[in-house]
Amino acid sequence: MSFFTRVLTMKCKQALESERTYFYHAIFVSRFHQLPKLSSSQSLEVQNNSPAAAENKGEEMVADSGRAGELLKPTPHQLGRVKSLQEMPGPNTLYNLYEFFWKDGFGRIHEIQQKHTQEYGKIFKSHFGPQFVVSIADREMVAQVLRAEGRAPQRANMESWQEYRDLRGRAMGLISAEGEQWLKMRSVLRQKILKPKDVAVYSKGVNEVITDLIKRIHTLRSQEDDGETVTNVNNLFFKYSMEGVATILYECRLGCLENNVPQQTVEYIEALELMFSMFKTTMYAGAIPKWLRPLIPKPWREFCRSWDGLFKFSQIHVDNKLKAIQSQLDQGEVVNGGLLTYLLVSKELTLEEIYANMTEMLLAGVDTTSFTLSWATYLLAKHPEVQQRVYEEIVNKLGKDQVPVAHDVPKLPLIRAVLKETLRLYPVLPGNGRVTQKDLIIGGYLIPKGTQLALCHYTTSYSEENFSMANEFRPERWLRKDNLDRVDNFGSIPFGYGIRSCIGKRIAELEIHLALIQLLQNFEIKISSKTEPVNAKTHGLLTPGNSINVRFSDRK
Amino acid sequence: MAAPGPARLLRAAAASSRRWLFSASPAAGTRPGCGSAAAAVRAARLFSLSARAVLSSEDKITVHFINRDGDKLTAKGKPGDSLLDVVVDNNLDIDGFGACEGTLACSTCHLIFEDHIFEKLDAITDEEMDMLDLAYGLTETSRLGCQICLKKSMDDMTVRVPEAVADARQSVDMSKNS
Repeated sequence: MSFFTRVLTMKCKQALESERTYFYHAIFVSRFHQLPKLSSSQSLEVQNNSPAAAENKGEEMVADSGRAGELLKPTPHQLGRVKSLQEMPGPNTLYNLYEFFWKDGFGRIHEIQQKHTQEYGKIFKSHFGPQFVVSIADREMVAQVLRAEGRAPQRANMESWQEYRDLRGRAMGLISAEGEQWLKMRSVLRQKILKPKDVAVYSKGVNEVITDLIKRIHTLRSQEDDGETVTNVNNLFFKYSMEGVATILYECRLGCLENNVPQQTVEYIEALELMFSMFKTTMYAGAIPKWLRPLIPKPWREFCRSWDGLFKFSQIHVDNKLKAIQSQLDQGEVVNGGLLTYLLVSKELTLEEIYANMTEMLLAGVDTTSFTLSWATYLLAKHPEVQQRVYEEIVNKLGKDQVPVAHDVPKLPLIRAVLKETLRLYPVLPGNGRVTQKDLIIGGYLIPKGTQLALCHYTTSYSEENFSMANEFRPERWLRKDNLDRVDNFGSIPFGYGIRSCIGKRIAELEIHLALIQLLQNFEIKISSKTEPVNAKTHGLLTPGNSINVRFSDRK
Repeated sequence: MAAPGPARLLRAAAASSRRWLFSASPAAGTRPGCGSAAAAVRAARLFSLSARAVLSSEDKITVHFINRDGDKLTAKGKPGDSLLDVVVDNNLDIDGFGACEGTLACSTCHLIFEDHIFEKLDAITDEEMDMLDLAYGLTETSRLGCQICLKKSMDDMTVRVPEAVADARQSVDMSKNS
């Protein structure tokens, strides 16, 4: 096995290209997985009159005559041959197993993504056990995939999530649901939390949480010798995000940032932190085939336990709100409130669907925000010159002490740029998935309907082609010279794009923009003697590999 | 739960059964770019199917859409309606238009305006610009239809739907060039 492994990864790659592909496919690959059935593609007949293509005998996979398919109409200038999946390069299955299980590749998925792109090109295939994946690390191809989406795009196989919900009689939420069921819930929820103006009204609630965050920083730094350092800022920002999510989702406060946190909340936070950390490790539970569960029962058991905890937490808060509404109604009071009140009153979603969505939004909205704030703090501490420019913009455009609200953010383009640049360098989701819902031709390959795609956002974010000096933290790259200046592109789409993009995007932006502004108004963030270089690690999401410790010095 | 007092509840939570229509509660804010007149009209529409008939035809604004295939689609809307509303309310057959229902999560309602109209459009937000960056076939007079609300001065304007997303071949070309 090691011999084959070596052959595959060694430099003789080019010389062995074609032999290898066919040899390995024949010998190993077909034993360990099944390529997606190509039958669906046979309906797609490709017009192909290219003489060059005709010479490539023996490699055609798609019928090369007849009518033009839906995707392909012949044009005079380009009649390239459409290649098959068999011809697509990619790492060998066994090597992948070795890399991921033996060499802890799960923690380095983002780096492996880059390495494979260098070795195999911008589109390549891989096998993760029974799962066949086509990876795409090119912004134009990513754009093509996302633009071709139908009305209910599918992210990935969510069988294990579905199985848990069936087991417990729970509903699916936005992350796990598919098809019409997903579309129904998305249509309700997006009208409440995705439009920037709807989200702007949460400024006041978020600012109350930020006040507590600042107080908490004062307390934490006073416990350090230098009176300024806060160690493991992610711990702090986890509590901030948790509190922020509770404010918006559950319309209540938990007290996560108080110096004396209520005992019940302490238990909640601890349980939830455990849930989140377990959840990351158990995300792979679904990757273990069912028949192996009797032999390796732990991941599945933990997976269920995590979900039990998350559902329980949400249900307590939803039920509390429900009781409060009921008692207001009983007393003839007018019921007023935010998202949860709306959902409970309007009955557009069932109670189980509300539990499920509150649970899944909680899961999606805490770590993601806290990691991004942690990285932003780290990057600003490492780049005092950038921080100074951002601070000056705040002082000049907003004021030293003016508490910002959502409509102040457009005056501060650098704050928006800091967030975009932080997410470019540390995209919380280093890759995203899509299951193709029709046959597509991408990068010259025919990708049959039903193929799992991995969109490699981490790799495109660091591609020099997409971003010059890609390794550097340069928020200015996102500034526009004027309204017609286009700066963005599909190279960095941390929240995704389109109908299945992150529904919490605007909430996350609000929580991060407002927090960063107030942090910089109050403190100069500096390197401390305890600051160590921090690298990213994939742990379900892209996380800081070790603790981020920085100083929060008072602004003079 | 909460079965009694639907009117009270509606007032409280501003429940909207038409999902693409916004709700007018203070918590929900108003639709991006659109005035409160439109809000009132829309609220009226929720509760009265005849609301549409009440408005006289002279209040309406005519918009011509040049579809991808070059066909001209003509429709009317009321002041304050967004161009996405016009397309939806009139069932205009523009493939894939407004997929995210005006929530600024996609750019499928991208439209190209005449110069003299474009210059007078309301200011563009950062969020709209970010989404326009990801639009296909962008021009200097491009905007998102969901963010543009009808005004009397727009009567009889023509907007163009950009070409369809690159077909497979063009994308192959592009990836080779990049």
